[in-house]
Amino acid sequence: MNSIGEACNDLKKEYDSCFNTWFSEHFLRGNTNDSMCAPLFKVYQDCVKKAMKDHQIDLKECEKDLLGTDQERKVPNAKS
Amino acid sequence: MKIWTSEHTFNHPWETVATAAWRKYPNPHNPAVIGTDVVERTVVDGVLHTHRLVSTKWYFPKWTQALIGSAKVCYASEKSQVNPNNREMILNTINLTFCRHIAVNETLKYVPHPGDPEKTLLKQEAVVTVKGVPLNNYMEDILTNKISLNAGKGRQAMEWVISKLDSEVKGIASSNLIHQTKKSLDDITTSAKKSMDDISLKAMKSLDDIHNLANSPNHQEI
Repeated sequence: MNSIGEACNDLKKEYDSCFNTWFSEHFLRGNTNDSMCAPLFKVYQDCVKKAMKDHQIDLKECEKDLLGTDQERKVPNAKS
Repeated sequence: MKIWTSEHTFNHPWETVATAAWRKYPNPHNPAVIGTDVVERTVVDGVLHTHRLVSTKWYFPKWTQALIGSAKVCYASEKSQVNPNNREMILNTINLTFCRHIAVNETLKYVPHPGDPEKTLLKQEAVVTVKGVPLNNYMEDILTNKISLNAGKGRQAMEWVISKLDSEVKGIASSNLIHQTKKSLDDITTSAKKSMDDISLKAMKSLDDIHNLANSPNHQEI
């Protein structure tokens, strides 16, 4: 699966493949130490955070309830 | 607001389903999902917490484009918890795009089937709210139907990923078998070679013994 940042694709694939191994062979067998993929995760994270900024994606924006508040967008006709 | 719920049983143990859930995309049944990115991931008290950003490409009907624009990439935020101790995986997804008009809140829960621990039960719930657009009730119906349709595709996708995982596991198993067979053959060769060496050593020793015997002073005396 691709990343939102094209530049992050290779880093993501490396990390994903490490994670999949860790998940089935370590985590599901009771070993919760997640340091195995930490270095790969770090470089991939740095790349994704930058790509999200470039795409202007704000994860916090939708966390609060907007519908039913003043911030909810109104029917265009209702305003005029 | 519309609430949609559904249940489905997978004939696979929870561990297999949880592993497949992480590898669900890409699959041929959900081509709209074009990207998944892990934004945060930590293990707290033995539970794996993950926050992912899911990118999907949507093609909207022409008549809606005046309202919401043409085909575009939409984003969703997926938060999940995997608890291997009580064998529970919960994923909660909300839309990030259009969130000032539409709220789609979907929860997937994978747990062992209460009647058969070798099977996995998927409980799915979606809450759809549309506000601030004309015909909001109608829009809620359209979205709820779409979710119902996509749920079927999601299950097919999971089965597809599981069968792929199975063949991978078999691949690993057969390569292990080949490895072990080779190892046994090597062992046989080594022990055969060792026996041959032993035989020749013993034969040599016997020959030496005979030779020694033949050349022994006693023999000479005779």
